[in-house]
Amino acid sequence: MNVVELSQVKKSYDQFVAVDDLSFNIEQGAVFGLLGPNGAGKTSTIRMMIGITAPDTGQINVFGRPFERKSLQRIGYLPEERGLYKKMKVLDQLVFLGELHGMNPAAAKQKAMEWCERLEIAEKLQSKVEELSKGMQQKIQFIAALLHDPDFVIMDEPFVGLDPVNASLLKDVLLNLKKQGKTILFSTHRMDQVEKLCDSICLISRGRSVLQGNLKQVKARYGKNNVQIEYDGNGDFLEHSQLIGSYNNYGNYVEVRLAPGADPQQLLRMVAERSRVSKFELMEPSLEEIFIDVVGKNDA
Amino acid sequence: MRNVWLIARREYLERVRTRSFMVMTVLIPVLMAGLMIGPGLLADRISHRAKHLVVVASGEATGEAIRDQMLDAQQLSRDTAEQARRSSFKKAAIPPELTIDVDTDTTNAHKAELTKKVATKELDGIIWAPEDALASRNITLITRDVSSFIENAEIQQSLNQSLSRQALSNKGLNAQEIQDVFRPVRLDVQDAAGKGAANPQIVFIVSLVMAMILYMSVLLYGINVMRAVLDEKTSRIMEVMLSVAKPKEMMAGKILGVGSVGLTQIAIWAAVTLAYIVPSAAAMGGQIKSVLSPSLLVYFAVFYLLGYALYSTLYAAIGSMVNSEQEAQQLQFIVVLPLVAAVGVMITAAQFPNSAVAIWFSMIPLTSPLVMFMRIAVQTPPMWQIALSIVLLAGTIYALVLLCGRIYRVGVLMYGKRPTLPEILKWLKYA
Repeated sequence: MNVVELSQVKKSYDQFVAVDDLSFNIEQGAVFGLLGPNGAGKTSTIRMMIGITAPDTGQINVFGRPFERKSLQRIGYLPEERGLYKKMKVLDQLVFLGELHGMNPAAAKQKAMEWCERLEIAEKLQSKVEELSKGMQQKIQFIAALLHDPDFVIMDEPFVGLDPVNASLLKDVLLNLKKQGKTILFSTHRMDQVEKLCDSICLISRGRSVLQGNLKQVKARYGKNNVQIEYDGNGDFLEHSQLIGSYNNYGNYVEVRLAPGADPQQLLRMVAERSRVSKFELMEPSLEEIFIDVVGKNDA
Repeated sequence: MRNVWLIARREYLERVRTRSFMVMTVLIPVLMAGLMIGPGLLADRISHRAKHLVVVASGEATGEAIRDQMLDAQQLSRDTAEQARRSSFKKAAIPPELTIDVDTDTTNAHKAELTKKVATKELDGIIWAPEDALASRNITLITRDVSSFIENAEIQQSLNQSLSRQALSNKGLNAQEIQDVFRPVRLDVQDAAGKGAANPQIVFIVSLVMAMILYMSVLLYGINVMRAVLDEKTSRIMEVMLSVAKPKEMMAGKILGVGSVGLTQIAIWAAVTLAYIVPSAAAMGGQIKSVLSPSLLVYFAVFYLLGYALYSTLYAAIGSMVNSEQEAQQLQFIVVLPLVAAVGVMITAAQFPNSAVAIWFSMIPLTSPLVMFMRIAVQTPPMWQIALSIVLLAGTIYALVLLCGRIYRVGVLMYGKRPTLPEILKWLKYA
């Protein structure tokens, strides 16, 4: 069953088309990545899924039915624009948001305390939000989205501004949710961050879907035509070789995308002739590269 | 509906718990009381010193008659003030004690000598009333305090009376007959329905105080609604809220929550006033009570609620349109202007409740909450006018809620530059 189904959804603000003929499905229990650069239409799409705005045309089904407000009690949403009532105490705030999601106050309080325990901020339950560090506020926000045990969790740029320790803490929580069979939607422009988490993706650019499907299949389609090379010596070969389609020089190493039909062994021999190779690895392309590739083609 | 209730409850509890709410609740009555009592205390200090006057007349008897009349008048006004002090929270100034000497030396040399004494503060005043001055009815008062016109008027009245008494006595009337001639008249004012009018001064003061509280509360809590909306926008919690509640519910919750805070505050003030001040000030308090009829309190609540609903809706729309307090300031005047106009007309309405200006402005919805309340407080207008005013007001509120609800819905999600008027008009068309 699909938790979310978008078909031919279109939304424009005045002249600006934010979402254009977008269709995708999110299967139950899947971790779905809605990926694209800033301004691609990710947040607009999410807002339509949860009824903040309505699509101009097209159909959106949530939990198998056209959107209805009752569904919101089964959805947890962490918006990109984080915000809490600054003067309110953490516990009061969580209970308030829990009640808005249909919980009774006692259960909301109980859950809030459990979550704060788990995310190591239990001692801040009686503090005002404005007294907390930014990282702690993020955790509270995170809890607010999950307090009512939603079946479908929407995370808009969840890892922005988190230190590695907290990011990994939250990642564990999310993986745990996945194990429980919850459906998770990630929306981000940092594709490297969710690449490891997602089952399937939809890449969007300028409101249109440019690539979607199961992540493994998408990658397989692109094949292992990427090479990561670490070397000492002359890097001239990057500019001249017929074997190289394009490359990214990261300083410590180079990522090379092979020209169509090129043989990686040939490239290895050529590089070895000119410099000392310490690493030469054939890899799948990263999502980011696939994205740049697809968008580049579309623009051309 | 549950969401509206939850949002209103949060708004209410968070506000009532703040220190500023408690400070305002205590401070405003203290300030008001200070405004009423302060000048009295001040006046007390100014005029409490005993005064020493000299009456210079050609004959001992004439001088004594003037002196006795002045002392009697002074005693009467001191007694009245004394009584007022005991019975009212307003501290009336007590007129000074008087010592009056009678002098029969009417030479110019003596006049110059006495005048010098006034200059050196040995004396406070000379009443120069020799035979010729009395004949021409042109008496001179020499004093340092030439501009103290109330005192001067009192002295003038005393002189008048004493001369009249003397004249009557010369015509052969006895003391009792003269007393009867001067017995003061009491004026009872009644309206056409035969109802006795309350003391107009007290009606005016009480109505004005209530209307000012009405004005302040509507303005204060309207602004609070705007702040609350703005706060949700700047703290970016708006998006979280929108993912569970409709903009309509949020707006309604805010307006109800903040409005209840206002009602709570007014209720506290009213309770304190009725419980403490009124019984302790028996005489004036009784009069206030007669002005503060239950029906007037009901009208107060009705017009507070309607006025607040009207202005808070406007304020909510403004809050949703802007991104910062500064931008909000710029737009606020649109809302404050009619309120200020209402206060201006309200004062006219207090004096001339049936003037055309008062009637018109008590019908126009933006000013009617204040002006109509004032008219009701001063002199209850015909029922149909009150009803029409309320109906117009309620209709306008309904239309504004629909209109501002649309602005609100789009506005809360708009960040960045302040929208222009054409843009706002476009928002109204969004489905």
